Amino acid sequence: MVLATGLTILSPLGIILYQSFLDGPFFQGSTKLSLSAFRFVLADADFHRAFGSTLIVAVGMTGLAVPLGGLLAFLVVRTDLPGRRWIEPALLIPIFLSPVVIAFGYVVAVGPVGFLTLLFREAFGKAPWNLYSLASVTVIAGLTHIPHVYLYTSSTLRAIGSDLEEAAAVAGAGTAQIAWKVSLPMVRPALLYSGVLVFFLGFELFGLPLILGDPEGMLVLSTYLYKLTNRLGVPSYQLMAVVAVVIMTFAFPLVWLQRRLLGLSGRFVSVRGKGLKRVPLRLGRWRWAALLLVLAWLVATVVTPLAGVFLRAFVTNWGEGVRLREVLTLEHFTELLDYPNLVRGVVNTMVIGVVGGAIAVACYATIALVQHRWQSRWAKVIDYLVMVPRGMPGLVAGLAFFWVFLFVKPIAPLRATPVSLWIAYSVVWLAYGMRLISGALLQVAPELEEAALTVGASRGQVTRHVTLPLIRFGLLGSWLLIFLIFVREYSTGVYLLGPGTEVIGSLIISLWATGAIDIVSALSVINVVLVGLGLAVALRLGVRVHE
Amino acid sequence: MPRRSPLFLALVLAAAQTVAAESDPGTAKDVISAAEKEGKLIVYSTTDAALVVPLLKDFAALYPKLTLEYNDMNSTELYNRLISEVAAGAGSGDFLWSSAMDLQIKLANDAYALAYASPELPHLPQWASWRNEAYAVTFEPIAFVYNKRLVKAEEVPQSHAELAKALAGNPDRWRGKVTAYDPERSGVGFLLITQDARLDPNFAETERSYGRVGVKLYTSIGAMLERIQSGEHQLGFNIFGSYATARQRKDPSIGIVYPKDYTLVMSRVALIPKAAKHPNAAKVFLDYLLSKRGQELIAKAALFSIRDDVEGETTAAALNRELGGTLKPLPVGPSLLVYLDQAKRLEFLRQWQQAIGTK
Repeated sequence: MVLATGLTILSPLGIILYQSFLDGPFFQGSTKLSLSAFRFVLADADFHRAFGSTLIVAVGMTGLAVPLGGLLAFLVVRTDLPGRRWIEPALLIPIFLSPVVIAFGYVVAVGPVGFLTLLFREAFGKAPWNLYSLASVTVIAGLTHIPHVYLYTSSTLRAIGSDLEEAAAVAGAGTAQIAWKVSLPMVRPALLYSGVLVFFLGFELFGLPLILGDPEGMLVLSTYLYKLTNRLGVPSYQLMAVVAVVIMTFAFPLVWLQRRLLGLSGRFVSVRGKGLKRVPLRLGRWRWAALLLVLAWLVATVVTPLAGVFLRAFVTNWGEGVRLREVLTLEHFTELLDYPNLVRGVVNTMVIGVVGGAIAVACYATIALVQHRWQSRWAKVIDYLVMVPRGMPGLVAGLAFFWVFLFVKPIAPLRATPVSLWIAYSVVWLAYGMRLISGALLQVAPELEEAALTVGASRGQVTRHVTLPLIRFGLLGSWLLIFLIFVREYSTGVYLLGPGTEVIGSLIISLWATGAIDIVSALSVINVVLVGLGLAVALRLGVRVHE
Repeated sequence: MPRRSPLFLALVLAAAQTVAAESDPGTAKDVISAAEKEGKLIVYSTTDAALVVPLLKDFAALYPKLTLEYNDMNSTELYNRLISEVAAGAGSGDFLWSSAMDLQIKLANDAYALAYASPELPHLPQWASWRNEAYAVTFEPIAFVYNKRLVKAEEVPQSHAELAKALAGNPDRWRGKVTAYDPERSGVGFLLITQDARLDPNFAETERSYGRVGVKLYTSIGAMLERIQSGEHQLGFNIFGSYATARQRKDPSIGIVYPKDYTLVMSRVALIPKAAKHPNAAKVFLDYLLSKRGQELIAKAALFSIRDDVEGETTAAALNRELGGTLKPLPVGPSLLVYLDQAKRLEFLRQWQQAIGTK
């Protein structure tokens, strides 16, 4: 099993590395070993610009998301913020929305002739923002990544109990003082961890800059890579591989750092108080101001772009001088039925989400179980292996898998089926899935399994009759989350897209490029509705979105 | 409905075939029967499936024994897919139909294409085919497109010279309002701007005027049209008249001008790869696309028929009457390969970046 996991994970990585040291596509006879691709990319002014923008965006969004996410976690978990029960699930929505959909929604809402921009301009004469600037991308990326910080910080806050804060309150400290002096130091490891995570995600950002960077020609590393497809007029896989290698050079240390930090914060969390009864801290007259702040963020990150997407999906055209009432239509949705590949795309998305998600969870669970109770060197190897795909941007992993399926004869027949896509998705999300499962496994104390072993049960019996039933609910929750992630996924499918492998995410990217905006908007709405349904079921069942 | 016996259906079909109209493709009988034995056809195309749905339905009605699988993708993707699939010895498309004329010719030049003399050849212009391997199927004029709500009739430039003059004369009026393909990120955009460089005697000036108004560059025609419609941009150049016409049918605020000094004409080029598993079915489809019957539907889809015996608004015949000698079709042939030379390509892009001031 170690071998199978290793092969699946390492073969795409190997192809990319190999390709980066060639002077043409690796499958062409005339190709030679060469460093020319590295020379070209490293000397290219666009590469330097893209690299600079990537750093700015990643730093900026981290600077924005970490403090705000931390604040949000404190407000929701520790204070008497009004309506925090229903605010909490709403906070998670941005994680499961495709960035492409969000970006597209922003164009319709607050682009130069977006409906909000026009309203604003009517009222104040001028709209002072430019959606297509580096600053906007940074701010939007920052705002949409607040939930990531929130998740880790809030679960740490919950785990450590509030006795220390209560003690401070009894001693007469104000809420702000408590937050600063008591809570903040306790969640510092969680903040640090999520900061590294957000910075890392910033390095891989693709959907937002793809759509918002287009008009001003702004590039980040991933969109630079995408642009290289066309730069020389003919395929320049070697150049793309070089950029992928560069991205991974930065990503791997970050992934490793994340692991280290997670270990640290876990150790910190384990120092927990016993009585977890919490008395919320009083915000006093700041209560409503805090609520307003949270609502403002929700309106900015969820309501505005979604309003844009829905609006565009139901009108024939929009913008300056268009009266929306006159252009309403349902045509884009009926038009979808004219495209057999789009219908297949919607079906495939659901199948990959539901069935593929279930099988992926089963695979993750198998690997996790082996690793969990099997003390061996190989468990350690797997432990490191599962981290590898996390360092590969989805776009690159997709391209590599396309090659693997093309040139590895035994699996070639699978290429034009959703199976190829499913494998790529499962590998790309391996690290995330493993964390979900091991989160569930950690809740099961080894005593129970040991008890069963003592009375003579075999390893298999223990797994079947003790461990699996105990983590059943955790598995169900993981399935739902993987469903959401698979439905949202867009970049991994870009290069695998073909007859039989259509999914909504990659279709949106491809149709955006050919310019079928009507269809893009309709597909986006379907995508949002699917995610919404999944999220509703998850919340209904009380699945905790984190661990 | 009463059930018909298979024999009855066969008779009806036979009858339908014997009364085949004159506009039907002239494919040889043995090719058709070989194709029907193959039974299947995989098309890789850059043309939106929705645009050609009527065409595909008609093809299915004409050849009910052929199952056609239509896949649309972007032009680079199409090219990459073919060469990697051929290299892997895996199954590939049977029929490539792409608007990236240069890449199609490169495929033919690199010996990927199968030669087939279509019986429809006599109805095509001389420049529309190369070595019986690559065929131009459409006749798409390249236009200026503007937003009628926001651009006054007298402001609309009628030629490339007027465009340059308008932009240079009043850069504040047009700043951020003009859009075009990005030659760096779009192969078609690159092809079009290099043709401008060849045909526009004052190209250097025109290019600079684009820079002065901060032209907004995109990778896709849809993104440009969407933004012209919404008023974010108001005027676009080097835009396919075919797409603009299709958009105009939905949204009358789109205005189209064919420049009077010269109007480039692009084609969607078809070829049959040597690696095709269903070459005869591909031949049948090629003949169908070039036939009068197929071209009438091409015209209906606003893709502009290339045959001179097809009449209507969106046809070569109509354009020839309206614009005559100023139409400049890009000949299907090796002259398209010039800028696939990397050094030349990068040098052109460097000059372009300097002129429009992005570097």
